[in-house]
Amino acid sequence: MSNDRQPLPEELLRLDDLHVSVHDGAATAVRGVSLSVRAGEIVGLVGESGSGKTLTCRAALGVLPAGCAVQGGTLSFAGRDLTALSRRGWERVHGSQMGAVFQDPASYLNPSITVGHQLAEVLRVKQGVPRRAARRRAAQLCAAVGLRDPERVLDQIPAELSGGMLQRVMIAIAISCEPRLLVADEPTTALDVTIQAEVLELIQRLRDERGLAVLFVSHDLAVVTQLCDRIAVFYAGEIVESGPTREIAERPRHPYTQALLRVASVGDFGRRELEVIPGQPPQVGADITGCRFAARCPVAEPACRAGEVEPVLVGDRHQARCVKAGRRVGELVSR
Amino acid sequence: MTAVEETAVEEQAAPLLEVESVDVVLGRGWRAAQVLSDVSLKVWPGQIIGLVGETGSGKTTLARTVVGLADPRHGRVLFNGVPISELRGRARRAERRQGHVQLIFQDPLRSLDPDLTVAEIVGEPLRIRGERDPARIRPRVLAALEQVGLDATAADRTPGQISGGQRQRVSIARALAAEPRLLICDEPVSALDASTRNHVLRLLDELRGSLGLPIVVISHDLSSLAGIADRIVVLYRGRIVEDGPVGQVFTAPRHPYTALLMASAPSVRHDRPFTLGQLRRAEGDPAPPEGPGACVFAARCPFAVAACAAQPPLQTIGDQWSVACHRHQEWAPLARAR
Repeated sequence: MSNDRQPLPEELLRLDDLHVSVHDGAATAVRGVSLSVRAGEIVGLVGESGSGKTLTCRAALGVLPAGCAVQGGTLSFAGRDLTALSRRGWERVHGSQMGAVFQDPASYLNPSITVGHQLAEVLRVKQGVPRRAARRRAAQLCAAVGLRDPERVLDQIPAELSGGMLQRVMIAIAISCEPRLLVADEPTTALDVTIQAEVLELIQRLRDERGLAVLFVSHDLAVVTQLCDRIAVFYAGEIVESGPTREIAERPRHPYTQALLRVASVGDFGRRELEVIPGQPPQVGADITGCRFAARCPVAEPACRAGEVEPVLVGDRHQARCVKAGRRVGELVSR
Repeated sequence: MTAVEETAVEEQAAPLLEVESVDVVLGRGWRAAQVLSDVSLKVWPGQIIGLVGETGSGKTTLARTVVGLADPRHGRVLFNGVPISELRGRARRAERRQGHVQLIFQDPLRSLDPDLTVAEIVGEPLRIRGERDPARIRPRVLAALEQVGLDATAADRTPGQISGGQRQRVSIARALAAEPRLLICDEPVSALDASTRNHVLRLLDELRGSLGLPIVVISHDLSSLAGIADRIVVLYRGRIVEDGPVGQVFTAPRHPYTALLMASAPSVRHDRPFTLGQLRRAEGDPAPPEGPGACVFAARCPFAVAACAAQPPLQTIGDQWSVACHRHQEWAPLARAR
């Protein structure tokens, strides 16, 4: 590796060996997740439903659903430990340090109050901006997220706006107090492809212009590879592979990542076999010795089930949790 | 001529489903909105048709019109030569009870009754058709479940106890139990993970193969259709803008909107004919023609000219390929030069 690399930007979010329990502690749905997001970086979490990616990002935001709790591990933001932060403490972090957008923007906005009022309210409560100035700032924010005719949008209620416009409003609210990190959980899943492309461009532009760091969660590998600098692939509550996007897309080392790339037909317009990953992911909290993907893996061997599989470094910042990844056996599965 | 070729010629002569220049208006008075304008579509047995378009383009309304849940103001729907959209009263109810056309919805959790078992759900269309004998219903239910790859143990569970992919299989099994002659799937895979999505698409492809069942798959995801559809029909604001064989449409789209949809789909590979920048309106582009009669896509089209003030008709440009664009021969080189 070369020595003339630029120093890495400041580490904002850091998760270390995070465990999250569900069903009031009856099962562990996130098992030892470690990841970091640096300033100005877009990191993508990808996996099937139930793989733990959303719980991980909810834990990072301190908004786990009822019945779920952080069981172990640490969580820090810009060097400050947030693991045992109180509710009041989280309120100070939300908005000013971390902003968030979710899949269904309409359910996070009050349907009977104008968008402008809701945007200005955040500015007034969080930053004490006076009423008139808040309205001006709200208009600027709407323009910044690419809403045409911001003054008109501000006087509309959510039902009068399309899904794409609502998601832009949510992003405007999320970045209104200039947070350093934006957490986006499936923000484009409910949108049309043309609108999805515009929202992804907006997120990229906010990163470029404001140095915003983004933690982006999606079940769609194609979306994540297009947007993110680094990717973490989740399977059954663990990160099975993580690394720079190009590495993951071009040299995947974990059989699950390779399988995901094969089934992701999205964006491929040639007619070809519809490939599937045989089998089902294990139940949440299933007691499995060794690799959790072994039951569905085409190249599993007895060593995979012998004991815990630790992530191995297979390239520059590229890790894979596979007993075969450490050995240089070339391509595990023929393409 | 072999028997196969003979039937092929016959099929060309008589489509199973014919939608003839249908206009659909939803709502009354000042709320009235024209959702479909001059939509024509033909489906032959054994074909899978991919119907694409974004929210509000009228995809679902078209499906509802075909099954008789919405009435066309102009035009008509023929099924097997019978103008089903013109049937009224008893004749229409009798036609509907036959269940020749079955609809499958996006979210099986919401379209399946949570209190019924899978066997009861799948047997329902048989009871609607007048079958009262449980001993005759059960074997047909199990046969339908087997067709979609579910085993008998699933039969006595409720929708809440099975996975999302299995639930979508149950919806398909319910449709199959009615012995349909046409299947319409409204976003059947949008809520599913990639692997499960491919499982369900494969199943539809197999049903087309084994039963010769024609299927209309509605989706906003073009690439998931690339694997199974024979023909792609693109709707934009209630009008068909392009209709053609999947291979040709996806290699060289002739309507700028089709190209825009393809360029918008996120990709792990990079193999599309145009980039987004080439297909979107930019700052300096001349103002598009406006007015009620203008081309539906003109406001978003970077290639719109004065002629686009009039809606272009759907014109045939090749074998089974038609497009509604005044500039279908001119825009592609212009896009590449942008």
